[in-house]
Amino acid sequence: MERRNFLQFSMAGLAKVAAGTTALTVAVSSAHAATINRTLYITEGYITQITGEDIYFMGFSNSTSELNIPGDPFIIHEGDTVSVTIVNTLQTPHSFVIDGQIDSGVIEAGTTKTVTFTATRAGTFFYYDKLNAPYNRLCGLHGPVAIMPRDSTNELYPGSPTFVKQQFWLFNDIDPIWNAMVENGNTPNTPFIPRFFTLNGLGGRPPGAPGYSDPTLNNMYDPRSYLKGSIGDRTLVRVLNAGMAQQAVHTHANHMEWLTSNGQIRPDIWLKDIVPLDGNGGIVDVIFPFDPPPDAWPPVTTGTYPMHLHTEMSQTAGGGFYLFGAITDIFYV
Amino acid sequence: MNDNNTTCYIYPDSPATPGVVTPDVTFDLGIDMNIPVKMDDGKKITMWGFTNDGSMNGGTFPSAPMRINAGTIVHTRLTVDGNMWNHTVHHHGIEPADHADGVGHITWDVDGTYTYQWRPMHAGTYFYHCHTNTVLHAEMGMYGALIVDPPEGPGTLVSPTASSSAITYDVESFWVVDEIDSRWHTLEWDAGTCGEDVGLHLLEPDYFVITGVDGSGTSAMNVASISATVKIGEKLLARYVCAGYHPQHIKFGGLTGTVYLSDGRELPNPIQVTELKAVSAERYDVIFEPTEVGEFIVTCDILDWITGNVLGTIKTNIIVTA
Repeated sequence: MERRNFLQFSMAGLAKVAAGTTALTVAVSSAHAATINRTLYITEGYITQITGEDIYFMGFSNSTSELNIPGDPFIIHEGDTVSVTIVNTLQTPHSFVIDGQIDSGVIEAGTTKTVTFTATRAGTFFYYDKLNAPYNRLCGLHGPVAIMPRDSTNELYPGSPTFVKQQFWLFNDIDPIWNAMVENGNTPNTPFIPRFFTLNGLGGRPPGAPGYSDPTLNNMYDPRSYLKGSIGDRTLVRVLNAGMAQQAVHTHANHMEWLTSNGQIRPDIWLKDIVPLDGNGGIVDVIFPFDPPPDAWPPVTTGTYPMHLHTEMSQTAGGGFYLFGAITDIFYV
Repeated sequence: MNDNNTTCYIYPDSPATPGVVTPDVTFDLGIDMNIPVKMDDGKKITMWGFTNDGSMNGGTFPSAPMRINAGTIVHTRLTVDGNMWNHTVHHHGIEPADHADGVGHITWDVDGTYTYQWRPMHAGTYFYHCHTNTVLHAEMGMYGALIVDPPEGPGTLVSPTASSSAITYDVESFWVVDEIDSRWHTLEWDAGTCGEDVGLHLLEPDYFVITGVDGSGTSAMNVASISATVKIGEKLLARYVCAGYHPQHIKFGGLTGTVYLSDGRELPNPIQVTELKAVSAERYDVIFEPTEVGEFIVTCDILDWITGNVLGTIKTNIIVTA
């Protein structure tokens, strides 16, 4: 395989930047519509997996020397004007799309394009590369977007149940054969058989594993991913699936309040310990209520619990390594 | 131990139970890792499961149901004694303290005897399963139904309130639908834990079961506790559990049912359905009140988690008499 002069990343190298969230785009105050400017660099490189395999990825990154997968979030409000400059450093065409909000059209190899849009609809979205679908998205060209209702900081949609914190769980599943085909300019023509499963770009590292306590390696230690709260710290989780497999999102300790599926507000809010998440771009919004675990005896208000996908194949890496997949922790403190 | 004599990221322990009190109910579970189950084609598949007497043999697939009333204090005493296996019990959907949650990497994988203490507060359909090397152990059949009845006991699904009457039933069926990939059923208990590629990312099922019975033909028809015979005027409660990893699509053969609960929680407004889609570990409690005599064939397609293609179908039946 020809190896161009790509960036080479360990998981640690790339996630360090993301965990720092220096480029997180957040419009904090919504009293007046904000204008937001951001530059994203489309970069590529290899990420070394727990198995030692190097896998090719592309990302919407914060600089030419980084590879951010997923791209850092946008958290904006309805009415905000957003100007995004996309620098395509690669030798292939790409695009920047938020469904219903903006489509950059083709950004040719080696060119830069600035697009501007006004956020019009509250909800959870991907930004992603719509070209060569779904391959460019699967290879890492995706990130999450939260559009908050105008003049609201604690609702998903106007009148929704309220929350005190919010974060993203963005899942992906990775078939190294497909990524290699994309790297070499080919269209994947084999069945999609994912061997790695990530949450916000990282797999799990259970206690005793190399990198266990490293938030840039272990999604259980990554503040983007784990939930940490005390009783009453209701946390909105915007859940997105860049991968192809349908998933079953499972929280221990509390049932989730299931608010939306794929942009649609559900007619009733069900309390679920499993929420279905469609493959190929599925999105759900849930609130983890941080109520005391109801079935404890004696009662408790602290403890550590997992969130994991119950589609258990997604808990593995490279055909084994249970617990090295799409999982994180829920800390009651 | 596996062929390489290596086990990784397993956390054996069996400490004293924090805050232990005298329970109202005790379940005494052991482990049986050699449960042959005969499929319709004559092939015997090795399943694993929990015994219900604390011993290391005599297990069934699925494991024996647990059934208790809401508000009672329960002990699940798990004994693991043999060949350096480790296992846990996770009561799925029950939300206890972390030391009663049975998640190996957060607490411990039981080695010896450990007692999980919990008090279920919400009536509904749950299931319990092993949470050690879960991807493999749950596929191997280490699960059983867990029914929490309201204080009125079996026969009532939802207690009455000041503004609504009780939701009751006369007949009960258990539809625990699962798929089996026979390739996985020759693996050791710790397969893959040290990173060996044992193919646990790929579940290619070749058998399809409902509540432990091969459901691809007629074996699950007219079988007590799976299929049901109900008279017009009676109410049938079907407790449906998606126990596999691939998504499922269940159809009720022309009958319309009412879903009152899912995942052990009452729906704000019950919904009328002729079919349901479910993903791994979802539960739905559906009540049927048939108005016509006849046989109704319930089918459940197991769908590939990526392509959505039908991998297999199980069947059972509801017979309605005058």
